[in-house]
Amino acid sequence: MASHLSSGRINLSVLRESYRQEFLELLDKCKGTKALVWDGALTGPIDLIADYTLLKGHEVDRMWPLQYGRLPSSNVQNIIFITRAKSSLMDIIKDNVTKLDNDRKELHVFFVPRRSLLCEKKLKDLGIYGLFASVEEYSLDIIPIDCDVLSMETELSFRNCYLENDRTSLFLAAKALMTVQALYGVIPNIFSKGDCADEVVDLMMRMRRELGGRDMQVPPQIDNLLILDRIVDPLTPLLTQLTYEGLIDEIFGISNTFAKFPPEKFNASAPGEASSDPKKIKLNSSDELFAEIRDRNFNAVGNVLSRKAKLISAQYDERHAAKTVGEMKQFVSKLPHIQAEKASLGSHTAIAELIKEETDTDEFRASLVATQEFLSGAETDKASPYIEDCIAKQEHLLKVLRLICIQCYCNCGFKPKLLDYYKREIIQTYGYQHLVTLHNLEKVGLLRTQGTVRSYATVRKSLKLLMEDVNEQNPNDISYVYSGYAPLSVRLAQLLHRPGWRGITEVLNVLPGKTREEFQQIPEWLRKRRASGSSVHSSGSEQKVTLVFFLGGVTFAEISALRFLSQMEDAPVDYLIATTKLINGKTWLDSLMDVFQAKPVNPF
Amino acid sequence: MCQELRVLNAVRNKNVGILLTYQQLQHLQVPVLIDRLLLQKLYWLAIHICQYLKMPDIEGASRVLAHWACDKVQQSGIEEEQLARAIAEKLGDTPGVSYSEIANKAIECGKVDLAIRLLGCELKAAEQVPLLLKMGRNQLALTKAIESGDTDLVYTVLLNLQERMPRGEFLMSIRTVPVACSLYLQFCREHNRPMLLELYYQEDNFQEEGNTRIADSYEDERFETRVSKLVATQDAFNKAKNECATKLTEEQIRLMRFQRKMEEETNKPFLDLSLHETMYKLIVENNQKGVEQLRKDFKVPDRRFWWMKILALSETGDWNELDRFSKSKKSPIGYEPFVEVCVKNRNFEEAQKYMGRVTPENLVRCYVKLGKLEQAAESALQSKNAEDLNFVLSKCPPSNRALFEKIQTMRNQLGAK
Repeated sequence: MASHLSSGRINLSVLRESYRQEFLELLDKCKGTKALVWDGALTGPIDLIADYTLLKGHEVDRMWPLQYGRLPSSNVQNIIFITRAKSSLMDIIKDNVTKLDNDRKELHVFFVPRRSLLCEKKLKDLGIYGLFASVEEYSLDIIPIDCDVLSMETELSFRNCYLENDRTSLFLAAKALMTVQALYGVIPNIFSKGDCADEVVDLMMRMRRELGGRDMQVPPQIDNLLILDRIVDPLTPLLTQLTYEGLIDEIFGISNTFAKFPPEKFNASAPGEASSDPKKIKLNSSDELFAEIRDRNFNAVGNVLSRKAKLISAQYDERHAAKTVGEMKQFVSKLPHIQAEKASLGSHTAIAELIKEETDTDEFRASLVATQEFLSGAETDKASPYIEDCIAKQEHLLKVLRLICIQCYCNCGFKPKLLDYYKREIIQTYGYQHLVTLHNLEKVGLLRTQGTVRSYATVRKSLKLLMEDVNEQNPNDISYVYSGYAPLSVRLAQLLHRPGWRGITEVLNVLPGKTREEFQQIPEWLRKRRASGSSVHSSGSEQKVTLVFFLGGVTFAEISALRFLSQMEDAPVDYLIATTKLINGKTWLDSLMDVFQAKPVNPF
Repeated sequence: MCQELRVLNAVRNKNVGILLTYQQLQHLQVPVLIDRLLLQKLYWLAIHICQYLKMPDIEGASRVLAHWACDKVQQSGIEEEQLARAIAEKLGDTPGVSYSEIANKAIECGKVDLAIRLLGCELKAAEQVPLLLKMGRNQLALTKAIESGDTDLVYTVLLNLQERMPRGEFLMSIRTVPVACSLYLQFCREHNRPMLLELYYQEDNFQEEGNTRIADSYEDERFETRVSKLVATQDAFNKAKNECATKLTEEQIRLMRFQRKMEEETNKPFLDLSLHETMYKLIVENNQKGVEQLRKDFKVPDRRFWWMKILALSETGDWNELDRFSKSKKSPIGYEPFVEVCVKNRNFEEAQKYMGRVTPENLVRCYVKLGKLEQAAESALQSKNAEDLNFVLSKCPPSNRALFEKIQTMRNQLGAK
C-alpha cells in the first residue's frame, strides 16, 4: 500500500509509518473491542495513515460518524471519539454521551492534532469530562499525500491567519516542520517570504531551542526549506488550472487523493455497483498512467492516452508471438499488469472525456479569454463587460468573485467607484447576505482600493510571468501549467537557486511581507557527505533537496510546475512540497465566505 | 567495566562512604547511585561520574544540576538576585534542565523574585506560563504565552484572567495586546455574542460591529426585529464611514419592506430573495408595475435589467413579449443574448428571428449556437477570419466527414492567401 510513498526522493513512508504506530499505540491503550466515532473532517486524512482493514486488526469493530442523536447500540467495550478540538463538536459529543445506555462502556476522546484547553473546559462545563476514561492527543500534524507531497489538511489556515488574526495554524505548521526534521534531519538552510512565514521560522527556532539539543541524531536529507505565504502570491490560486490533475480538482474536486465522477462513462467494475452512484477513483502515483499525465497540460493528455492505447494493444498482440510454453508462461505472468494498465487507461480516458465536455463549453473558454486579458493588464481599470454579463446571468458566485479578484490584483486595486460598483452589482444580484463575504475579501486584501504603489506590471515583467509561444506538448518553462502564465510562487522558488534571491531584491521588496534567510547549525559529523568531484551523471543521490512549504494552501498546478523544475536537465534541486491545505480557487475563496441562512420568518 | 570499577573506587572514599560491590552496582543501576550521592549533597562528584560514564544529559548532568539548584534555592541568607545569577551561571544553557521545577521550589520557599528570574531562563513556555499565573504575574504570563505562539496557552491565560479579574480591568489589560484581543474576540464570537458587540463598541470598531449585526439579524425570526437590527447595522456602517455598506444596508431594508408587501398581496414567498431574483419573479408573474418600481427605486443598470428580462421571458416562453421588448429600444447588450436565450430554451425558430440584428463579429458564434455550422463557416470565410474558422471546425463532430472536410478546405483557402 505504501510503495508509492517510498518511491520519491525522500522516503515519506517512514513518516506515515511513524504516525501509524502512534495511532495504533493509542488504540491499543484502550483494552478490548472498540467503536470509533469519527469527526467527518478526519476520516479522509486518517484513512491515508491507517485504513479500516488495519484498524480491524486492532479490535476496532465499529465506525460511526460524529453527529447528533443516539449512537447505534453495540457490544463494544470502548467508545472512542476522534475529533478536532472544535468547541461546537463538543456539543455533539455531549449529545451522544448523554443518550448512551448505562452499560459500562469505557469512553475516550482523541483530540487531533492537539488537545485544547478550551475544549476540555467545555467538556467540563457540559458536565461530561469526568465520564471519560482517557483524553488523549494524536499529534497527526502533516500527512504524506504522495511521494513528494505533504499536507496538513487544515481547512481554515488562510482564513484564521489573515481574517481572524489567529496564529494557531502557524504554530501547528512549525510543529509539523519539527516532526519532519525529527525524522529526516535538521534542515540547514531556511528561506522565507511573507510575514506569516517569518513567524513560522521564529517558532521553529524557538521550538528547536526548547528541544535543547536532543534533535541531533539524524543525518539531514533535506538541504533547504523555503516557506511561502499564500498572500505573497494570491493570484495563482484564483486562476483556473490547466493541468490534468488541476482540472480534475477544479471541476470535480479531489479530496484526500479521491475524486468522484458521474458514473455514466465508466464501466461498472463490480457487479453489485449501482450505476447511479458517483464513481470514486483514487488518484496517486501508484497509478502509473496517472503519474505520467497528471502534471501535463490537458491539451497534451490526449496524445499520451492514444499512445498508451497503442502500446497496450501491442502488448496484447504479443500473445500471438509466443510460441513456446516458456514464452506463453511469460506472457501470462505479465497479463495482470497489462489488464491493470488497460483498466487505468479506461478510467482516465473517461475522465478526460468528462473534462473535455467542460473545457469545450463557451463559458469555460470565455472565462479563460477574459482572464488572459486581465493578466496582460488590458483594461483592468474599467468594469469588465464579461463580468457584468456573468453577474447578470447569475453564474456561480464563486466564479464571479474569482474573476473580480483577478482583475483587482492585475490592476493593483480598484478605484473606489469601481469597487463600489462591483459590490453593488453582487449584492443586488446575489443578495444582501453576501455583504460580509465581500468585507472579508476586503479585509484579506483580495478586494481593495488602489494604493500608491502599482507593482503588478513590474513583477510580471521582471519575473517573466507571462510567456508567449507556450509549447503545451513539450514545455520548456513552468508557464505551461496555466498555458502562458508562470505561477509567481514557483518562479520565486525557481529563482532561489538560480541565480539566487540576491538577484531579485527589487521584486522581493515590492512583494508583501518580510524576506528572510536563516541557517541552522548541524554538527560536522552529521553533515551530508558530497562525493568529491561529483559528476552530473551520478546516481541522483547527490541532488540537493528543497522542501517548499506553502502557508495558506497550494494548487495542483503549482505542484506540477515544481515537479517540472525537478525533472529539467541540469536541475539544481529536487523539490518536496508541503502545505497547510491543497486548494483551488473555489475552495480557497469558499473558506473566506460567510454564509447566512435566514430563519423562516414568523409572519406575526 | 573498568570505568565502573573506578567509580566504585571513588565512592569508597571515606568522605563518601558508599561501599558497593560491582554486582550490587549492576543490580542497583548507576542512576540510583547518583541519587544516593545527591542525597549526600555530593554534587561535584556526582557530575563528574555522569560525565565520565557519558550518561545522557537527561539522566545525568542535568538532573544533578537541577537537584543542586533546588538545594541552593533553599539556602537562606543569600540575596535572591545573587542566587539567581549563581544558578544561571552554573546551569547555563544546559539542555534538559527544568528551570520551572527550580522556580517552583523557590516559590515554595517564598522567594518570588528569584522564581521570576529563574522562569525567565525557562525555555518551555508551557511550563513557564502556569507558574507565572500562579504567582499572579498576569501581564508577563500573557506576554510569554503569546511569544510561544501556542494559542491554547494564550487561552489558558485569558480565561484564567477573565475569571479572576473584574471585567473592566480584564478588558483594559488585553486592549493593548492585539493578539490577545483577536483571540478573545474569537472566543466571544462562539460563546458570548453580546460581549462581542460590546467589545467592538469599546474599540470603536464600527465596521466589525456592522458585520456582527448582519450575522445576528439572520438569526432572528421576526420581521420587525430583523429590520430593526438592520437599522442598527446601517448605523454602525455609517459610523465606520463605510458609505457603500451603509447604502447597501439601507437598500436592503427598503427591499425587505417591498417584499413583505408583495407577500401580503400575492401570498407568495419573496423575502430574502435578492433584488434580481425578486424582479425575475415579478416578470414571470407578469407584474409589470412592480418590476418598473423596483427598477427605478434601486437604479438597476440597463445591461443587467435587459439580461434579466430576456432570461425571464424566454424561461416562461413568452416569445411575443420578448420580440416586442427587443424592439422597444436599442439593446444595451446587443442581440446575441437574444439568440443565446432562445437556443437555451430550445426554440431555434425564434432564435433565427434575431440573426438579422446580430453584429458581424458575432455572427459566426451565433450560427454555431444554432447548430448551423456550414453557414457559420461561410460567414467566417467571408470575413476572412481564420480564427473563427478554427472555432467552427472545433465544434464540428469528426463523424460528419463531409462537413468536416469542407470546413477544412475553407480554412486552407484562407491560409493559402
